[in-house]
Amino acid sequence: MAKRSKLEITRDILKIVQDYDGIKPTPLLRKSNLSSSRFKKYFSNLLNKKFVKEITGNDNKKMIFLTERGLKFLEKYKTIINFIEEFEL
Amino acid sequence: MPHMTGKIIVGEHIMKNAQEFLSGAFSLELLYSFVIIVCSLMIYFGTKEIYELSNHKGLKYFRRAFLFFAIAYFFRSFIKFFLVYFDASTALNLSPRLFYRILGQTTLFIFIYFSSMAIFYLLYSVMWKKWKKEKTLIYLLHAFAIFLSFISILGKNPLIYLFSNIILFFFALAIVIISHKDKKKSHKNNLYVTYLLLFIFWILNIIDILIPDFLKTFQLLIYLSSSGIFLLILYKVIKNTGTN
Repeated sequence: MAKRSKLEITRDILKIVQDYDGIKPTPLLRKSNLSSSRFKKYFSNLLNKKFVKEITGNDNKKMIFLTERGLKFLEKYKTIINFIEEFEL
Repeated sequence: MPHMTGKIIVGEHIMKNAQEFLSGAFSLELLYSFVIIVCSLMIYFGTKEIYELSNHKGLKYFRRAFLFFAIAYFFRSFIKFFLVYFDASTALNLSPRLFYRILGQTTLFIFIYFSSMAIFYLLYSVMWKKWKKEKTLIYLLHAFAIFLSFISILGKNPLIYLFSNIILFFFALAIVIISHKDKKKSHKNNLYVTYLLLFIFWILNIIDILIPDFLKTFQLLIYLSSSGIFLLILYKVIKNTGTN
């Protein structure tokens, strides 16, 4: 399997969050196919960029949801990749 | 009719008054600069959203290249236009001869620095993955651009500057060709041809400024071709970003 780029990993994580419409951190880590340390790095980056938000429920468990900005990234993902390829960036 | 380029201003044919300054060839240069500035800024702002979403380094340097082109061309003509139109020499209590000399040297310095950096950033945008370990490289490029600006205003012989730019051109040419071969793109991409043309017209623009008589006959052709290349890049950006 070819090594995924940072943008692809970001897209994959956001896509999982979108498909589940809210997911707990542990299943997200498992489904993202990343090591724990790499996942932490990507996840904190997504939080900082406000692509996802963490909400603690009544049972004190954290759930991760996609934000408007995260949805925008998914919508624009193809455009970003096409642009990078077109201009060989 | 003299061609109102930077070197003319700093050279022997210092202009007598603002009317002459704003006539003929200078109006053409002003229009040309306007086209380049508008294209560059449209590219810069048209890619803002995809850069902010992706934080992609290549996009960052690509955008910066066009921002620097816009600044360079702003100084090439517009700053001269504004200062002369509003007669800053009277306000600053300077003799017109000294004023035009300072103005010419300063704008030339800024133009050379920003346009050289624009080219370096464009190269950096295609090579950033290979060069990312060289943390100091970008500072070296800034230093080199400043050095080029200094020799262009301090050097008595514009041919020295021209020669250093031609060496730089072949360096840029080699990088673009190597980068293109390494990436082995299978899709129909003639971007490297566009970049090569951009580099060629960058050199011709430099010659036009430093040795105006050298390309006097082809000045209009240089302006039209350079504008055409920027419009082509703008078209590609609009097509790929879906910007209206």
